[in-house]
Amino acid sequence: MESTRGLKAIIGNFFRKKGQMGAQASSATFLVTVCFVIALACAAASFVIWWFPYHLFSDEVYNVVVVNAPESFVQFNEDTQKYRDMEAREYGDRYNYFANWEHMTHFEYSYDGYGWTEFIYKETDARYDFVTFGEWMRDNDAYLTVVFPADFDEQIKARQEGLTEDKPEVLTYYRTNSLEYSDMKNEFIDEYLEYYQSSIRAEYGITVTSVSDSQIVHDPIPTIDEDDDRFTIGANLNRTFVPILLFIVLLYASMSTGTNVIAGQKERGTFTGILLTPMPRQHIALGYLTGVVLKAIIPAAVIALIASILTFRFNIFCFLAILVYLLVLEIFIASITILISVINDTVVSAQTAFLPVFLILVSVCVTCIQSVSERSDFYLYLPVHGQFYGIGDALNGSVDAAGLAASSILTLTLTAIIMIITVKLLYHERYTVSIDTITEKEIRESRNGGKPSFLTKLNKATDNFSFVITEVFYPLVVLSFYQFVAMIPVVISYMRKAEWSSYIQDLANVGSVKDIINKTFEIIGIFFKDPLYLTLMTVGYIAIILTYIFHAGRVWKIKGFKKKSAAVGYPLSSGKHIAKHYFLGLIIGFAMLSATVGVMYLTGQISFDGFNLNSASIGVFALNLLMWVPQGASEEIMFRGYMITAFSRRYKKAIGVAVSAVLFSAFHSLNKGYTPLASVNLALIAVLFALIYLLTDDIWMTSAIHTAWNLTQGNIYGLQVSGNNAANSVIKTFYYNSSSALITGGDFGPEGGLAVTAVAVVCLVIVALLLVRKKRKAK
Amino acid sequence: MIRVMDVHKSYTKDKETIKGVSFEVKKGEIFGLLGPNGAGKTTLMQMIATLMKPTSGMIVIDGLTAEKDLLEIHKRIGFLTNEIKLDPLSTPNRLFDFFAELYDIPKEQLYQRRKESFDRFGIAPFADKRINELSTGMKQKISIAISLIHNPPIIIFDEPTNGLDILTSKQVTDYLLDLKEQGHAIILSTHIFSVAEALCDEIAILVDGKIAAQGSVKELVDQTGAENFEKAFFKIYVDNHVE
Repeated sequence: MESTRGLKAIIGNFFRKKGQMGAQASSATFLVTVCFVIALACAAASFVIWWFPYHLFSDEVYNVVVVNAPESFVQFNEDTQKYRDMEAREYGDRYNYFANWEHMTHFEYSYDGYGWTEFIYKETDARYDFVTFGEWMRDNDAYLTVVFPADFDEQIKARQEGLTEDKPEVLTYYRTNSLEYSDMKNEFIDEYLEYYQSSIRAEYGITVTSVSDSQIVHDPIPTIDEDDDRFTIGANLNRTFVPILLFIVLLYASMSTGTNVIAGQKERGTFTGILLTPMPRQHIALGYLTGVVLKAIIPAAVIALIASILTFRFNIFCFLAILVYLLVLEIFIASITILISVINDTVVSAQTAFLPVFLILVSVCVTCIQSVSERSDFYLYLPVHGQFYGIGDALNGSVDAAGLAASSILTLTLTAIIMIITVKLLYHERYTVSIDTITEKEIRESRNGGKPSFLTKLNKATDNFSFVITEVFYPLVVLSFYQFVAMIPVVISYMRKAEWSSYIQDLANVGSVKDIINKTFEIIGIFFKDPLYLTLMTVGYIAIILTYIFHAGRVWKIKGFKKKSAAVGYPLSSGKHIAKHYFLGLIIGFAMLSATVGVMYLTGQISFDGFNLNSASIGVFALNLLMWVPQGASEEIMFRGYMITAFSRRYKKAIGVAVSAVLFSAFHSLNKGYTPLASVNLALIAVLFALIYLLTDDIWMTSAIHTAWNLTQGNIYGLQVSGNNAANSVIKTFYYNSSSALITGGDFGPEGGLAVTAVAVVCLVIVALLLVRKKRKAK
Repeated sequence: MIRVMDVHKSYTKDKETIKGVSFEVKKGEIFGLLGPNGAGKTTLMQMIATLMKPTSGMIVIDGLTAEKDLLEIHKRIGFLTNEIKLDPLSTPNRLFDFFAELYDIPKEQLYQRRKESFDRFGIAPFADKRINELSTGMKQKISIAISLIHNPPIIIFDEPTNGLDILTSKQVTDYLLDLKEQGHAIILSTHIFSVAEALCDEIAILVDGKIAAQGSVKELVDQTGAENFEKAFFKIYVDNHVE
């Protein structure tokens, strides 16, 4: 029997020293995790805000909020009031009432359980504003909101008179914190509303047909799984959020310790010392495995304990089952981290290698989030899936012993295979001895007689590929991020407005991608009139510029803000120089666009209809002007200052100009009204701006031109800016009916038309000549 | 105690780092491997210490081979190389305890062992300081103490005095001589002539992965007809090195 002292020592080492095994998680992993946790927390919060106050402090509620109640419905409620009062008196107890149902008339039966119901009448145009409905329900102890169209009675009449085939749409929203409310909602629809329907049929003297006269759209807040008899929000959290949280905790803890142990020790040079001891390598591997497992399981177990206690039905048997699931899962994860740690030589490379595993497992978790009724029992027996479902079910108080056994056995078998591979690798010098004298590259090249090997070429190719992909998508990611963030508050504020509901309704009718784009731009068009959005986007564009400056500084290893800024085309050294270039740029931009408008005017495409600005819109107008400044600058830094420089550092300048032109054009291709001519124009403009950048050696001037161009186009002449509708303009411009979209660019605005092509070509020639002259002078 | 028989090692197919090396080290003998950087000293030492496998040839340690009795060999050898580092956040005391567990040293013996080596190298005052707070010389002394924690009969030291000042160097060389007296078989690599001259009973001069000459200091000097050992080494190196 071999001594296990060494094994214990290795395990003990995990807990002995503070700092030694500390997490050295690569920043990317950390960021991904943080983002994911925040996203989950937001998702959870959206449940909890709804759920928390009721569930703990309130009993069942019976009231119903009626929005835009038609007169007929109010009348109906009054008519039935006496029956309902009677019910409430006579059958004070609901269950008694049910016990006596046989003795009731059909009429009484129809009012099943509504003796306690009070109707609260509200008015709003926002039919989809579930936030407000939620507040109303909470304030009035209601479980249901019924939303009628404002002209319900008229619609019914019109339908009965055969004027229309459309059914008026009645929406319902109900509380989801208890399954009870879903049942109550169904009863209300099936009985009370059904009876109301027959009453209006009677009122309008129409024969009753099987076709119902109004369409009831069930709209729970939020969507719930109606089939699950164990449903509450808490149970749902137990099946989704808590297991994911536990998975992430296990994954993160395993990664930070697991990748650190062997790879970290190799990096620090302490691993060889351990390999030289008479410890069998399987003991070494087992020791590390146990250490990682023990370290990671503790926080997970604590969270599981808290979660089980919070369910208010703590059950020691279920909790033990959770611990078994967690333990098995953690052993599995730990074995993967140990294997990865053995294969890699540094902590960072090990963590990078672990990142895909991390993401795959988290993705598996996400795929596991589905309703109990839809999931197949088969999953309970699988590794990972089994643990995910098992933990969720156990938190909800049920343990499937067969699932627990099968998933554990399968998972541990997989773990055993991984550990066998790990131990085998530990006997291999490639994974234990770091060979300092010969680098991998030299080995590869020596095999190939000094020429770069296929692998080197492949490396270079993937390197280039990843460079291009990164640079191409960086603007998209950065812009989407800030635009998205800026939109959140605006969207929230809009959800309460009446206009919003009509857009939502329209959105339901869109059929093609084009429709969606058009609709989106319509909504953005509305936002462009919103001071909040304009302000946020102004801040967002400034943030984009700063992001780029710091990104460039990091990638190109430049220190100092001034130097970073200069590297992306914004030299800060001379204020006079900046002012000169910027002012000149504003004039050029204004002149170029005016020339375009001139061409369109002279060719008889457009005309002007006086001034459009009034005192009410002047504030938004000013904000709009303000926004164009960082907007132009941000696009310039993305496509010119940063992108051209990035490509020029690696390839030829011409490639940088070409790539930026193609991307600049492609970047706008999703905009409304995009045409092939627009893409050519935008590419031409991009080349023009690029040449101006090369001519002036900074992007102060192009930023100003860009700003002036958009501003003049949208807010002076009131034309579309790359498909975007600018809100307020000084001059009201209109197109003649006879105008040709080929010249004016149609919906995309002048940038989609030949007028811009003409102006851009002329400007290009001028700038090209200037550039040639500059080069000659330099020589 | 150590027999190295026609050992070859290549990291890549067409380049041999060790090109057929054979020698033997007996009990109570200090065997020196002398050679310039890149000659293959460390590779050879790592193979003897079982960290790497020879491409061909055989290394027998105390009658055992790494293929069959890896852990038994580990009990018999103490290996020191610059590439083995001490955990920077640990302390000498903790490291001593940790490795004592890994080597399965009885608790009673450990106390004695620790006292001896800590006293010898003056580690005691630093026993509870973090490794990264200690000087290079102290780290090296602790490394030596730990590599010999299990009192192995065979000692493999790769450049033991590298980067040490004269005083510390002397402490180390004195210790090695003591160990030799006690009957340990010692193999050490160095590129410092004085160390080789003072310590080694037998010296092998390693040039480009081959033993260019072997013998005691006196034999090598006589062989080459040089004035002193240093000149003898250069002569051998020049004669054998191929550009």
